[in-house]
Amino acid sequence: MAAASPDLLSIAMMADEIRRRMHGTRTTFVRVFEVHVETPLVALPNGLAAGELRIIGRPASLDAAVTAVRAAAAPRTGVPLTGFAMNDLERLAGTTGETLAGICAALRDAGLNGVSELPVDAVSDATAATRTARGAGLSVMRLTVQAPDDARIPTLVLARQLQAAAGGFKAFAPLSRTMSVSAPSTGYDDVKHVALARMLVDNVASIQVDWALYGPKLAQVALTVGADDVDNVAAVDPGTLGTRRSPIEEIRGNIRAAALDPFERNGLFESLPS
Amino acid sequence: MHQIGAKVQRGERLDRGEALELYLHAPTSLLGRLSDGIRARKHPDGLVTYIIDRNVNYTNVCVARCNFCAFYRPVGSSEGYVLGFEEIFRKIDETIALGGGQLLVQGGHNPDLPLEWYEDLFKSIKQRYPAFRLHALSPPEVIHLSRMSRLPVPQVIDRLIAAGLDSIPGGGAEILVDRVRKLLNCYSKASADEWLGVMRAAHHAGLRTTATMMYGTVETMEERVEHLFRLRELQDETGGFTAFITWSYQPEHTELGGGEATGIDYLRTLALARIVLDNFDNLQASWVTQGGKVGQLSLAFGANDMGSVMIEENVVRAAGASYCMDEIEIVRNIENAGFTPKRRNMHYELLGDPIFRERDVPRMLTLAVARADGDASRPPEIARYTARSAAEKKARLTGH
Repeated sequence: MAAASPDLLSIAMMADEIRRRMHGTRTTFVRVFEVHVETPLVALPNGLAAGELRIIGRPASLDAAVTAVRAAAAPRTGVPLTGFAMNDLERLAGTTGETLAGICAALRDAGLNGVSELPVDAVSDATAATRTARGAGLSVMRLTVQAPDDARIPTLVLARQLQAAAGGFKAFAPLSRTMSVSAPSTGYDDVKHVALARMLVDNVASIQVDWALYGPKLAQVALTVGADDVDNVAAVDPGTLGTRRSPIEEIRGNIRAAALDPFERNGLFESLPS
Repeated sequence: MHQIGAKVQRGERLDRGEALELYLHAPTSLLGRLSDGIRARKHPDGLVTYIIDRNVNYTNVCVARCNFCAFYRPVGSSEGYVLGFEEIFRKIDETIALGGGQLLVQGGHNPDLPLEWYEDLFKSIKQRYPAFRLHALSPPEVIHLSRMSRLPVPQVIDRLIAAGLDSIPGGGAEILVDRVRKLLNCYSKASADEWLGVMRAAHHAGLRTTATMMYGTVETMEERVEHLFRLRELQDETGGFTAFITWSYQPEHTELGGGEATGIDYLRTLALARIVLDNFDNLQASWVTQGGKVGQLSLAFGANDMGSVMIEENVVRAAGASYCMDEIEIVRNIENAGFTPKRRNMHYELLGDPIFRERDVPRMLTLAVARADGDASRPPEIARYTARSAAEKKARLTGH
C-alpha cells in the first residue's frame, strides 16, 4: 500500500520516526577514496582524509584484482581497504575456475580488509557468499541494490532475509547503483524507497545513501525520511568546488541543516574522532 | 508551534513573528504538511501545470555588477554579446517547434541598448509572430531603461506595452531588504521599494507579473520572511502577481562565492512561502536550480507548477547549475507524483494536455545556450542605435 501511495509525507514521517527511535539525530558519514581496479594506485594524493580506501570496478582477472589491492595496501595508511562487489567476485570465480573462497583469501593476503558491497539483487546465493568471504577473513558489511527496482518490496525483503540468515550487515543502501539515463528515478521514487527500506529492513541498523551518486540535495532529504548514514563523501577536495566549502564542511553543514548531528566513521563502521 | 499550525490549517494569516517561528522551529515534515494542505485547498483538482517557453538572455553586458551573478560581463569584455534580431527569431522558431508560445526575455543592463532597441525588437517579433507572447524585462531592467531614457517608469512600461510587451518576470528581486541589496551590490540597480514600484506600475498598467526570491546569500531568516511579507502586501494592494518562484543562490564563478543552500533549505523556504503568500495562487518548483528530484519533491511542499521547460538557460548555468528537463521528463515527474499534468500560459490559463502526446517532439537532454562558444559576431541592427559606451564606440570604428 505505502509503496503505491502518493502520500509522500505520511510515508516519510513514519520512516523518520523509526529512524529517530533507532538513532536519534545521530547521522554518520564516511569519506571514501576510490581507486579503479584497472588503474592501480601509484601514490596517495596530498591532503587525503579518507575513512575508507575502496577499489571499484569489475576485475578482468584475479591477477588484476590482486595487483590493485596490493597497490592500494602498500602505503599502509591504517585506513580500512575495501574493494569489489560480491557479484563481481562471484563472476570472477565463474570465469577463472578459482573458488570464491580462494579469491577472497588471495585478496585478503594482498591486503584487502573487506568486500565493499553485496548487491542483494545480483548475487545468486548471498548467504553462502557472505559466509565464504567472512570465512576467508574479509568483512562484508554493506548491502546495496544494483539495478533500478520498480518492484521495490521484494528487494527490501531480500535484504531483510539476508540479514536474518547471515547477520553482520551494518548498512543497507536501497537506492540502485545504476540508473536509466532517459528515465531516471524521481525524487518521489527515491524518498519512498528510502522510507520503505527503513520501515521494512528493520534488522539492519543503518539505511545508507550515496553522497556522490545521488548528490548532496537528495542525500540530505533522504536523511529526513529514514536514512542515517552517508556513504562516499569525497576524501580529497577536488578543487571543483571553487570558493565553496570543502567536502567535509559541506557534508557536516548539510547534516546540520537537516537538524541532525554529524559523526564521521571509517569503512569498518568505527567512529572517528570529530 | 501547535497553535501556529492550527492557524494555518484554519486558513488564517500568519504575522511576521509566527512565520519566523514556523521556519526556525517547525519540523520539515510539518512544514510540508501545512504547505501541501494549502496547495490542495487552492488546487483541489489535482492538476500540476507547466509552460513551454524559452529563456532568452539578449545580452550579458551589464553595468550593474551584482556580486552574486556569474553571467554578466562588463562593458567592453571580449566575452560580451548582444543577440541579433535574426538570432532571436530563430530561437522563436525552435520554441514554436517544441510547442512553445512565449519567450522569457531578460538580460544585462547594457548601456548601448536604448529603449528604442527593445521597442524595435518587440515590434518586429509581434509583426512576425502575432500570437507569440513576450514575458520580458525584470524590474531592474525597466529601471535601467527609465534612467537611460530619462522617462518615468510608468511611461517606459506604456511604451514597451505598445511595442508588444505582454507581462513582466519577477527577476532581480533577490531579497527585498535594502541592507541585503547593498551587500549584494544590487541596491543601485533597484532598491526594494523601486523593485516593488515597477511591479505596482506594471499591475496598474494592466500587466500581470511574477514574483521571485533568491535566498541563501547574506540575508537573515528575518529578512527572508520580510521579503515574503513585502510581496504579500503588494499582492493585497494590486492582485497582479500570477505566481511566486524561489531559488537558491548559485555560487560558482561569482564574486560573492560561498556555498549553496541545501535541498532541505529549499523545501522549507518553499513551504514557508506557500504558507505566508496566502494571496498567491501559484508557486513554481525551481528544478533548474534544485535538480529534477528535489524539483519534483517541491510538489509535496507547496508547489503546484513545474515552471518552464526553458529550452535555453544561461544565467544559473554560469553559476554552476546545469539541470535539464524537457516536456516528457516534466510530465513524467508530475504523473509520478500523483498529479495530472497540464500545459498553461503565463496567466495560468490551461492550454491542454502534453504536446508530445499530440505530435512528435524531439527529446531535449541539454538546455541550449544563448550562442555558441567563440561566436563573437555583432548583430547588424545595433548600428542603428546611438552608442553610449566608449567601448562600443571604439568597436564600431574598428569593426570588432
